[in-house]
Amino acid sequence: MPTAVERFDDKARAAFDRIGRNEVYQGELQRHRVYTRFLHWMVAVFFFLSLFSGFGIYLPWLFRWFTPLFGGGPLSRALHPWFGVLFVFFFALQALNWLKPMSWTKADSAWMRRLRSTISGEEKLDPPDTGFFNAGQKVQFWEIVIGCVVYLITGIILWAGARTFGPIAVAFSYILHDISAIIMLGGIFIHMYLSTIGEPGTFQAMTRGAVSEAWAWTFHPAWYKEVTGRDPRRAYEEARQRMEAGRSK
Amino acid sequence: MTNGWIDIKNTDMMLIMGGNPAENHPCGFKWPIEAKLHRNAKMIVVDPRLTRTAATADLFLQIRAGTDIAFLGGLINYAIQNSRLAHDYLLNYTNAAFIIKEGFKLPDDGLYSGFDPATKVYDKSSWNYEEGGDMTGKAAAATALTGAAPAQHQPHTSDTASGQGHQAGGPMGAKGTGGAVPPPMLPPKVAYDLSLQHPRCVFQLLKKQYERYTPEMVERITGIPKDQFLKAADLYTSVRKDGDMKKVSTIIYAVGWTQHSFGTQIIRTAAMLQLLLGNVGRAGGGVNALRGHSNIQGATDMAGVFDILPGYLKMPNPTDTDFAAYLKRITPTAAKPDPWDSFNYWSNTPKFATSFLKAMYGPAATKDNDWAFNYLPKIDRNYSWVNIWNDMYEGKIKGIFAFGMNGVMIGPDSQKNIDALKKADWLVVCEIYPDETSEFWRAPGITPEELKKINTTVYRLPGAGFAEKDGTFVNSARWLQWKNVALPPPGLAKVDQEILATIFLKVRELYRKEGGKFPDPILNAWFPYTDPKNPSLAELAKEINGKALADLTDPNPKTGLTLKAGQQLPGFAWLKDDGTTLAGNWLYCGSWTEAGAMIQRRGTDDPSGLGIYPNWAWSWPMNRRVMYNRASCDPSGKPWDPERRQIWWDESKQSWGGNDIPDFKADSAPKDHMGPFIMNPEGVGRLFVPLGAMADGPFPEYYEPIESPIANPLHPNQTNNPVVKKYKTDMDKYGTPDQGYNVVCTTYRLTEHYHYWTKNNPMNVELVPEPFIEVPFELADRMGLRGGEKVKVTSARSHYIAKAMVTRRIKPMKIDGKETFQIGIPIHWGFRGIAEDADKTAKTLANQLTPTVIDPNAFTPEFKGFLVKIEKA
Amino acid sequence: MSDRKTLQIKQISAHPGPIPGLGVQRDLEVCKLVDTTTCIGCKACEVACVEWNDMPFAETTFDNTYQTMPETRWNFWNLIKFNEHQREDGTIQWLMRKDQCMHCADPGCLRACPADGAIVQYANGIVDFNQENCIGCEFCVSGCPYNIPKFNKETKKVYKCTLCSDRVGQGLEPACIKACPTGCLKFGSKEDMKMIAESRAAQLREHFGYENAGVYDPQSIGGTHVIYVLHDATQPELYGGLPKNPQIPWSYTVWKWLFKPVLGAFSMLGLVGVLLHYVTVGPRRPQPEPPKKED
Repeated sequence: MPTAVERFDDKARAAFDRIGRNEVYQGELQRHRVYTRFLHWMVAVFFFLSLFSGFGIYLPWLFRWFTPLFGGGPLSRALHPWFGVLFVFFFALQALNWLKPMSWTKADSAWMRRLRSTISGEEKLDPPDTGFFNAGQKVQFWEIVIGCVVYLITGIILWAGARTFGPIAVAFSYILHDISAIIMLGGIFIHMYLSTIGEPGTFQAMTRGAVSEAWAWTFHPAWYKEVTGRDPRRAYEEARQRMEAGRSK
Repeated sequence: MTNGWIDIKNTDMMLIMGGNPAENHPCGFKWPIEAKLHRNAKMIVVDPRLTRTAATADLFLQIRAGTDIAFLGGLINYAIQNSRLAHDYLLNYTNAAFIIKEGFKLPDDGLYSGFDPATKVYDKSSWNYEEGGDMTGKAAAATALTGAAPAQHQPHTSDTASGQGHQAGGPMGAKGTGGAVPPPMLPPKVAYDLSLQHPRCVFQLLKKQYERYTPEMVERITGIPKDQFLKAADLYTSVRKDGDMKKVSTIIYAVGWTQHSFGTQIIRTAAMLQLLLGNVGRAGGGVNALRGHSNIQGATDMAGVFDILPGYLKMPNPTDTDFAAYLKRITPTAAKPDPWDSFNYWSNTPKFATSFLKAMYGPAATKDNDWAFNYLPKIDRNYSWVNIWNDMYEGKIKGIFAFGMNGVMIGPDSQKNIDALKKADWLVVCEIYPDETSEFWRAPGITPEELKKINTTVYRLPGAGFAEKDGTFVNSARWLQWKNVALPPPGLAKVDQEILATIFLKVRELYRKEGGKFPDPILNAWFPYTDPKNPSLAELAKEINGKALADLTDPNPKTGLTLKAGQQLPGFAWLKDDGTTLAGNWLYCGSWTEAGAMIQRRGTDDPSGLGIYPNWAWSWPMNRRVMYNRASCDPSGKPWDPERRQIWWDESKQSWGGNDIPDFKADSAPKDHMGPFIMNPEGVGRLFVPLGAMADGPFPEYYEPIESPIANPLHPNQTNNPVVKKYKTDMDKYGTPDQGYNVVCTTYRLTEHYHYWTKNNPMNVELVPEPFIEVPFELADRMGLRGGEKVKVTSARSHYIAKAMVTRRIKPMKIDGKETFQIGIPIHWGFRGIAEDADKTAKTLANQLTPTVIDPNAFTPEFKGFLVKIEKA
Repeated sequence: MSDRKTLQIKQISAHPGPIPGLGVQRDLEVCKLVDTTTCIGCKACEVACVEWNDMPFAETTFDNTYQTMPETRWNFWNLIKFNEHQREDGTIQWLMRKDQCMHCADPGCLRACPADGAIVQYANGIVDFNQENCIGCEFCVSGCPYNIPKFNKETKKVYKCTLCSDRVGQGLEPACIKACPTGCLKFGSKEDMKMIAESRAAQLREHFGYENAGVYDPQSIGGTHVIYVLHDATQPELYGGLPKNPQIPWSYTVWKWLFKPVLGAFSMLGLVGVLLHYVTVGPRRPQPEPPKKED
């Protein structure tokens, strides 16, 4: 299995690298290459298109605010499933792309147990065994994977309607589709926060594709070690000492 | 209909049989529903299938197609055995008490007295009343005699000299060509026994005739289990429980009764049952024929049949050498018990006939030329429907005008009709769609080579649809209702009268120019219309009503009314036999009077609440809504049911009057004992039909259909109607169970389609898109057949292919102990139409299956109850 | 509707006591009564419906039944359902029921519909679709306990019987009622129709031996504005699947109006949470971070 997927991914990465740019400056590490970033933003665009076109249908109170964005109710309804399909499509590629780094490890379980202190800010540095993705990211990833499956199944049922699948199936799908959307909506706030103001320095990973080394040893030490061969804690210590030395001057 | 559609709402009990009004007369069916809703009336439906009518019934019995006489005979037997009879009615208003001549024999062996096996015709002279007086109480002496009554023919007695009974000639002119022997006549004074005990009185003979129709026999023949039959018999006759006369029951039928080789006798049986129960002439009663086309009643009234003239005057035949001989043959004289009175309304026949001739030939009809009587064609043989096609098939008829009918589809034995048209020189079709008759050469099976050999010239005339012409429809209730034009005919289409008048004027021109063997009838036909090329139907309606040709005074001197020459006649009582009146149809006299077009009236008042609506349109005769309504009163002139008062005798005015128009002599007091059935020379209803009115027996006897799965259990050696007419060409084949034809098949129509037209209309096609065959679930199960699969039905004549409708609404039956299946085929599809043109059907015709055999009285083909075999196609 | 208000007395001169008729309203709820015991399945109502509503003809195929098509279509709103029912004694009952929108008092379609103004229920009880506002999501299809609304793939809208709201608005009866030849279809106020139906059911019980005859007006959806007289009201399923106890899926009732807003608000907790985190804990920065400026 890895061979076929990997070969596909490698080809895609290579192709996209020829089109797009990777800007990595001194003191930075390449984090996401063009293909990954492209997929991410496609997923993001269709996520929001689906979300907003779905809002109108979701709540009668939102109907009149959101449907005009898409040219009215009928067009919102007509576009929503296509947005959804594209969202799922791009995310499926993303999932293939990330299948390996997103696999769950013992380190992730440990990370989760320390979640409270991470949130509270007691722990400034992530544990040394935190890899390319941390457990929080992985949870969100797998939530979206499951969410996409739910969307796809219930969405198709809703799309074809009661005349194909019967009113009971439609009624259930209606609820599951909603639940999936609500969980994902809750998650997107956290994702957006952490990738911007919540963890400064993250956003550029999805723009230029590069992050600072400090960012890397702070949040993904194991990955730092993997790409640089240096010990993240030592690198951090050295940096801290350099900084303090600079201050004392 | 003796009564009318609306009148059905007055009934307490309905027997619907040989008809499917919910499907074929849905608008009229509101009245049976009204009776159920407002009178708690019960409905018994007897049919080969559980139809949409049966779906609303209180009791449904599945009968084998064609066995109706056995069922009705069983009901008569039940009514007599259980004394569910209207005794006073029976005694006074029917010929129950009349004594029949010695020598008359009941058909224990299937034959009445007088049968000639060589000619297959009855000598009916023994089917007559005995001349004499009151025989009441003289029964004992006679009993001994009848026990050994010889079946030999009685020579005509002297009574024939005095009588001029019109029955002798029968319905068909040809039968009167007997030669020198004068036809037998009814005696003017009929012997009678008011105790109904005389063994030769009609009632005793009737009782004896139907004693054989036991519930067990009914079950053997009809397939209706005995207990169900008894339930129906008890329910139907319950209206006369304990001698009660207030309740009324009605019988409703349609072509399910007429389309048999004994159809007329089925209807007779129903009429007899109604007479026994005292239901005729009464609101909510009667024997009610539901006519299938919007104007089929009008077509019959106006002689759309070969053996009558308008108003049911008999057609002249070659023995009628002059007008006097004709009138003598067709005008009956009264025949009744001496103390009783008989109006014998047909004694006015000379007035009706003379006025008709004046309408036909106008000034050319004079006293000196016998009112141009000899201009009328004299029919020498049977020109009924099947005979016409048979004659064409045999090359005797060279051309045909097909107006308003699709002869190929109608059949029977449609292939024979198609082959007959191949042999014709020409065919003129006036239609609104291209139909199977005008395109008979496109029938399936005709190869291009064969097509080249067909030399029939086909002329197609574009006719106008019903909504594109005005005129009248006469409905089943005998109402003449005027309709207006809704749309002009499209394109080149023309109304019928324009087409016909154009042809007539052209033919007359040819006669005028070229002469001919006998041009006078054509040259002298009176055609006085404002626009002779397109006569207005209003003008024709006025002519049919009739007008005075000289100043007249009312025949009833009490009124003092007079008419000026040229004025419209107010009614047929004004008609004269001296040439001073003209009327196209005496029955319609009164429909368009000086007061205006009665047929255009739209009055919706109904003072009696009986649904009479006296000011809505006009019903023949003389706007009477229920015929024979004198019988709605007891002999003293009081209504049997005070709550349903139709007419009554007003002692103070010394006349009859009431809510309806009395169908009676208005000033005949009850003490004079004039019979209510004024069109019969006896004045009473006929349980026994004397002499020649019926070809096959004075009482109906049960015979099997021509193709039947069993031998007649009553008399296995005489299974079929002995006088029935079969045809003898190579196309006329009849199947037997031995040949594998063991499934009983019947044909019918659907609500969703109208004959062979609506297969051209997308809305109707949407409702029922394709032909189908109704197959009982059990039979399908045995064949391994599923609904929607194609089946092939084969008769001795041809085959029919369509999808199967597998249903539990037709159940297997035990017929004389033998398991028998019945199937049904709706007749609507042919080889031209929306589904046909899209190649969605097999393009076979249902009537390719039906046999060429006709009822001996009305000449209707046996479309129902023939034998087939069925297989998967 | 207008005469209801305009001719009601509002003020009255020199009249002691209450104003006559004030506050009295005519019963405006309309109702169609279908007496299945007198229906003859003639399909006049089907034709009248197609013709009045100017519907294009639909193609049908033979399906081993007299029924025109298996179920109503977007262009065929009125369908008589034919059902052969074998009774315990072996006799067959041929049941015919005119199927169409029931115009429920509590319409599942309307509850399910997410589109502003696509479905309305008039004060007279008629439930009507306004195709201009319909978004074609077909939620109404699953919301309906009677399988009535039908989707047109070309226009992407849903259609159904309007109870001839256009005719009723002009004081006419619906087209099907006008066409019915036996009078098994009646139209009037709900109260009157209910009374006629009950008396007919009583007649069927007393005089025609239908012990279980009754009226179908299911209270589980607040009653309907089309009611049936049935030979056997205990088995409405026999009449082409008429539900005995019709229900609107709870997804369109509790879910739509309670859980959805609540859950929607709940998802906003994510936003609130991260904002709170930003304000109270503050962002996590790459380490080491320069010390804060001490003022």
